[in-house]
Amino acid sequence: MTFTDWLRADRLPHIYCAGCGNGTVINCTLNAVDQMGWKKEETVFVSGIGCSSRAPGYIVTDSLHTTHGRALAFATGIKMANPALNIVVFTGDGDLAAIGGNHFIHACRRNIDLTVVCMNNMIYGMTGGQGSPTTPPGALSTTTPYGSEEPAFDLCELAAAAGANYAARWTSYHVKELTHAVLAGLRTPGFSFIEALVQCPTNYGRRNKFRQPLDQVEYFKTHGMLVEKVRRLHEEGREIPPDTIVLGELARRNRPAMGVKR
Amino acid sequence: MKLSIDEKRCKGCNLCTMVCPYRIFRPGKTPNERGIVIPVLDRPERCPNARLQPLYGRTLCGMCQMICPDQAISWVEEKPGEKKKVAIEF
Ligand SMILES: Cc1ncc(C[n+]2csc(CCOP(=O)(O)OP(=O)(O)O)c2C)c(N)n1
Ligand code: SF4
Ligand code: SF4
Ligand code: SF4
Repeated sequence: MTFTDWLRADRLPHIYCAGCGNGTVINCTLNAVDQMGWKKEETVFVSGIGCSSRAPGYIVTDSLHTTHGRALAFATGIKMANPALNIVVFTGDGDLAAIGGNHFIHACRRNIDLTVVCMNNMIYGMTGGQGSPTTPPGALSTTTPYGSEEPAFDLCELAAAAGANYAARWTSYHVKELTHAVLAGLRTPGFSFIEALVQCPTNYGRRNKFRQPLDQVEYFKTHGMLVEKVRRLHEEGREIPPDTIVLGELARRNRPAMGVKR
Repeated sequence: MKLSIDEKRCKGCNLCTMVCPYRIFRPGKTPNERGIVIPVLDRPERCPNARLQPLYGRTLCGMCQMICPDQAISWVEEKPGEKKKVAIEF
């Protein structure tokens, strides 16, 4: 089997804009799920609302496309009702960290056995490009027309601080690493959080000097730095460029988890 | 096996042109009937997955297929009797 067997071919091509990174994250996640050797009947994909949350609709397994911000609440319910099910959550930065922010920290605190893949495009894609909690300082959106003046959330640090067993960050350029990170998340009992930075050429890129999808992917490629290197530079007192994207495994531990299949 | 782009799925984003180590995908020039400029393939017989996938029984490289956000890239079996080009590496 390959990851393409998990796709609903009759529903493709999907609604995403040309060059949208969400499609790449679907590939990587399905590739990891495929490598786990899970049965389709025992796997459930859950999502909230947003472009990113359309993903489960293109996958053959049972899925729940829920209300905005509530993917983790529904996923918690499924897991507690039937711990034998394998649950993967697709969510967006707005869905997870704005309207769903409380569900996020409490799912981490409970350390419930889910794998959450957040497609972070740093903007509200579906509703036309409003700023989100992860919009970087200076970035333009319809609600930050002079550039965002607020600091952005670091979703992985947030997950780690709130108690998740696993947290990792990659981008839509790093397809192999992202696949490995999702696989590590699926194997980890407890809450696993994988943040995938993605390009949104239509709403983010167009306003922020990434005219082509390739431009933003190139940015991910050139601005990423492994967390080990960031820590080393920090220890040596060397300067870390302010726009560095910290990549890699940001947390891996073994706190008691909830909802683990016995 | 041969490399193929599904014209019904490809949206012409050119992400595949960025990742192929052999630079097999090149940005296209002419729009198809749906108005989408699909990348053109430069000597696709060089692709290691097309050459060696049957021998190894697993995907080799596969970067283009993974990054393609529209699931448009795949490898298809040649039809019986279809002429095929081979690439020799040395
Ligand atoms: C309760 C509720 N409030 C607001 C909305 C409108 N809404 C739909 S999608 C969305 C933002 C989605 O952003 P994100 O989660 O980042 O996903 P993206 O589209 O960027 O992938 C909002 C505010 C809604 N559907 N429901
Ligand atoms: S609006 Fe942005 S996130 Fe939504 S499909 Fe288009 S490119 Fe993707
Ligand atoms: S599998 Fe690798 S070498 Fe072959 S076409 Fe794709 S990116 Fe190029
Ligand atoms: S990455 Fe996929 S959708 Fe984009 S141009 Fe290449 S084949 Fe087409």
